[in-house]
Formats: sequence, C-alpha cells, structure tokens
Amino acid sequence: MIKIVHYINQFYGGIGGEEFANHKPEIREGVVGPGMGLSAQLKGKAEIVATVICGDTYFNENIEEAKTAVIAMVKKYNPDIFVAGPAFNAGRYGVACGAICQAVKNELNIPVITAMYPENPGVEMYVKDAYILETTNSAAGMRKALPALGKFITKLINNEEIGSPEEEGYIPRGIRVNYFNERRGSARAVDLLVKKLRGEEFTTEYPMPLFDNVDPHAPVEDMKNAKIAIVTSGGIVPKGNPDHIESSSASKYGKYDISGFDDLTEETHETAHGGYDPTYANQDSDRVIPVDVLRNMVKEGKIGSLHNYFYTTTGNGTSVANAKKWGAEIAKELVADGVNAVILTST
Amino acid sequence: MDLEIQKRVKEFAESEDKDNLIVILGGAEAEAAGLAAETVLSGDPTFAGPLAGVALNLPVYHVVEPIIKDNCDAQVYDDQIGMMEMVLDVEAICNEMDEIRSSCAA
Repeated sequence: MIKIVHYINQFYGGIGGEEFANHKPEIREGVVGPGMGLSAQLKGKAEIVATVICGDTYFNENIEEAKTAVIAMVKKYNPDIFVAGPAFNAGRYGVACGAICQAVKNELNIPVITAMYPENPGVEMYVKDAYILETTNSAAGMRKALPALGKFITKLINNEEIGSPEEEGYIPRGIRVNYFNERRGSARAVDLLVKKLRGEEFTTEYPMPLFDNVDPHAPVEDMKNAKIAIVTSGGIVPKGNPDHIESSSASKYGKYDISGFDDLTEETHETAHGGYDPTYANQDSDRVIPVDVLRNMVKEGKIGSLHNYFYTTTGNGTSVANAKKWGAEIAKELVADGVNAVILTST
Repeated sequence: MDLEIQKRVKEFAESEDKDNLIVILGGAEAEAAGLAAETVLSGDPTFAGPLAGVALNLPVYHVVEPIIKDNCDAQVYDDQIGMMEMVLDVEAICNEMDEIRSSCAA
C-alpha cells in the first residue's frame, strides 16, 4: 500500500484559528481534517498514514526549525508521497505548504504535491519545487480541490506520465517539454494570427512571462535638500571592469565610489554592457549615469547632494528574480545611507 | 460555516430530538448558503470544523425559500425579512439550496 503523509495547518487540524497560529508542529496517526476527504478520493489505492499539523505563524517565523522538525516527523513514517494543503489563498499557509514540499523533496526525494490559488505567494516562491494544483481562492473550493488532488495522486501511484499543466490542472512550472506536432510552425502561426484578427479565442504556444508593475513613488517634495543616488542597469563600471560584471546575464552588481568624480571620462569609466553599441557610453559614461549634470545641480542648489556611491549591473539577459533580489539589497543600503531618491537609468 | 456555529449545531443535534430540529440559514450569498447547508447535511465540505466527516442530515432551508416564507406570519415576515428579500438574489439562493439538498440526498 502506498503511504502518504499529509501536512495541514492549525485551522484545518481543528486546533483553532489565528489565535492558535503559533502552534508547534505535531504529528498524528491517520487522517485529520481535509485528509478525510482526500482519503475517500484515493479509493483504497493509498493510505494517509499520518498528518502533520503546524501553526502558520509558527512555521513562517521559525522556518528552519519548523522544517527540521517536520522532516524528522515525516521520515519516521517512510512515506511514498507527501501532500500539503490545499491552502487556497491563505498566504502563510501557502508559503508553509510550498516550503515543506521543497524540504521533503530535497531530504526524502519523494513526489510532493500541494494545491493553492494561483495568486497565493507560495506559488511564486515554490512553483518550481512541487506540483501545485490550482484551486479557487477560498475553502469553498475544497469540493473540487480534493478530487483533483486525488486524481493527480492516483496518476503518480500508477506511474502514469504527468501531462501539461492544462491537462492536469497544476500551475505551470516554467518547464518547456519538446513534442512533435503534425503541422509545421508557420502554418500554426498563421492560424493563430487569423484567429486573432477575427477576434476569436486562441491560445498562444509561447506564453510570455508575467511581470508585475511597480507603483511610482510619491514625488520628492524637497529636492533642494534631497540626497540623490544613481542606480543603473546600463553597465557603467570603473575602467577595466574590476569586478568582472558579465556583459550579459549578470550574476552580480557593483557598488562604486564616485565621491572623487565631477565628470566621468574615457580614462576613468566604461560600460560592461554587451547589449548595445558601447561607443558613446565608453566615450563619456555620463551619458548613462549623469554624474556631471548632477554635480552641477548640487552646485546650483537644485538638489541637496549626490550619494557617494553608484550601483550598477548589466540589464540584458539578467533574470527578473536576480534583479528583484539585488534591487531589494540595494534599496536597503540606500535607505540606511539616508538617500531620499534614486535615478534609475538603463541604456 | 464558522467553527463555533458548527460546534453549536453539533451540540444541538446531539442533545435535542433530531426529528424536531430544522436549520434555517440567513446567509446573503448562494454559495455561502450552499456550503452551510452541505455542512449540516453531509458534513463540513472544507474539513476544517467539528462537522468535518459528520453527516447530521438535518433538514435545512434558507429563510427566503418559499417553504419558510409560506409558513410564517406575513406581517412578521415582511417586518423582519422583507428588506433583505428585496436585496438578495432569492432565485440563486433557492436554486443552490435545491441543488445541495438533492446532491446530499443522492
């Protein structure tokens, strides 16, 4: 018999709501809460041998301890499959489900499945680590989520091939799989175009990644006293590119002192960027990060001061995930240094 | 249906004669009414509360359903429910209740 261990939070474990969200992980034999419904869906092909219950706040605030504790509990039952949730649109629960699936997969190397609403933050964080079946945003969707989980788990048990996200109902993991189509690409592309022109429904074969929008910051009210910093994805670096920032798909960013510069010149700075004609940026890097103009503005009293450091990387081919991570690190430093506003330049 | 209410319904069902018990719902949306009805019929479909896996099979109606309205004093009903009856999507609620009752009976 296939053995499953199921992870749920304190709410579905019947312990209580928000006031019990600090509940430490515990494991109980057999099914608890949604496991009852899931068990019925498995129709005797697998057994939920134990259920881990952990408070959402406890998990998220003690993530390493929680993972270690839960893994130790799960290991004892030597399961074949690990299931977490469904978490619907509960943010901390979703993150916990994703994180524990990732940990179980890494430690025990068994299939891990969870289910949640596509906008749950757990999806973005862990979609590559586990199959995440799509659910509605509230527990009202349990009626559909459990049969979907049951069906998916049954496929795993039977060693059936897992098809595309559309066929199986899981959230796309960003993995492309080759397949043969009887019709060549150009013919399919023309079909898509004709459908589009006719206003008919069509499904792209090449979905674009979704990027979030950043809300503009409120205007800086007192520019005369503001400390301004420069951050660029245009690849400007001190001459010789001392930290070897890659010309594309950068793996790092640089932070360089400009306190001694009123003007960037061919002798002092250049661009490391490999995605545009560097001639004009190499001649005068002020064209990408306007240090000269900003110095003048400080002298004229238009802005308070220019921050002593600028941050730089090459933006071409750089992953959004890296850019986000670096942006957060840079912002933290800038805030700590008392910077009031940033001029962000590209190429 | 919230966990406290589930607990109270369960206690009533255990302490009272079930033949003399009927659940009347007042939820404002069809889906929520349907979930509450299912909870007291075949058990909590979200498996979160005391009625998870407990099928009480209690008779359950929404207060805007004709069977309830027709059994109430018209004046009292109008005073107490009339306003909400105008605001709610009565047809959607009635359809949902019918559907849940028949699917739970099946």
